Amino acid sequence: MAYSDKVLSHYEHPRNVGTLDKSSESVGTGLVGAPECGDVMRLQIRVNPETQVIEDAKFKTFGCGSAIASSSLATEWVKGKTVSEALTISNTDIVKELALPPVKIHCSVLAEDAIRAAIGDWKKKNGVAEEAGVAVAASA
Amino acid sequence: MGGDEQSDYFTIFSMPARLVIDLPALEKSFYALSRRLHPDRFAARPADEQAAALAESSRLNDAYRTLKDPIARTAYLLKLEGVEMEEQSSSATAAARATGSSKKQIVPEDLLEEAFELNMQLEEMRMAKQMGEDDPQLRKDLLAAKSSFDAKMAAAQAELEALWTRWDAALDADDATAKAAARDAMVALLNRRSYLRNLVRDVNDALEA
Ligand code: FES
Repeated sequence: MAYSDKVLSHYEHPRNVGTLDKSSESVGTGLVGAPECGDVMRLQIRVNPETQVIEDAKFKTFGCGSAIASSSLATEWVKGKTVSEALTISNTDIVKELALPPVKIHCSVLAEDAIRAAIGDWKKKNGVAEEAGVAVAASA
Repeated sequence: MGGDEQSDYFTIFSMPARLVIDLPALEKSFYALSRRLHPDRFAARPADEQAAALAESSRLNDAYRTLKDPIARTAYLLKLEGVEMEEQSSSATAAARATGSSKKQIVPEDLLEEAFELNMQLEEMRMAKQMGEDDPQLRKDLLAAKSSFDAKMAAAQAELEALWTRWDAALDADDATAKAAARDAMVALLNRRSYLRNLVRDVNDALEA
């Protein structure tokens, strides 16, 4: 399959591959899978407790090139955003940026799921209600 | 497929859409139908008839291959029931986005963890191999993993067969609620199975490499 240049760039030089300390209070970990193909992805964020800004993000993906590129891009995008800003990233943004073909859409869905799961984990750890952040984001 | 009026694979073989099927009977009926569509029989017929017979026979082949295979047969039936596996996953993500929550994963958390961990191990092993090392402990772990996944695959297969029986009974009883329950359980099982299948494949690749 022909990958777009942007996919190739992220695939060959993935940004932010790695691990953050899972047990840290300020780290949220999302582990998600795509049932369509059985691929798995882990995305982690470190959040500043004062500002709720995501200061670091790392990922590790076992999957196709598009999944690797999507998660690499996702880590770049969430960095510097607040948690509620990051929640507005949608898989269609990723599809557009990477010019993914229809059969690869689920790979971008996986990356969005991973962001949400990481944020969800962080919220749980820090006693932030899942819905609260949303209400703010939605009314903003 | 989609909106065309073609009959479904079960109908081609004049079978009800049941999941426990009589394989020898399916095979027999496949050969009988194939003979009827054999190109030799159409050699003297007009070109459009020949083309139609060819198209029908290729569909017949698809139908046979699909129904013969337990997983393909189940997936096909689910599709007839309107289940779009991919669509399901992305609409769950859209729902999570709308409420700002995280998506409910359709596979059990521990299976994801296991898949992730195993892939880490495999990567380690590939790297060690590249450096010319062969870690016997890692190999042992992989063999253990292999037998655990093989066992899980076998268990999944048994579970699937039990669901077939449940589905067929619900179908015969024309019980919509029971049908829906069996259908959902099959979807969950097939989803889980796709991870297991990958794990088995990756472990085997690593052991053979
Ligand atoms: S094919 Fe599985 S994530 Fe892309």
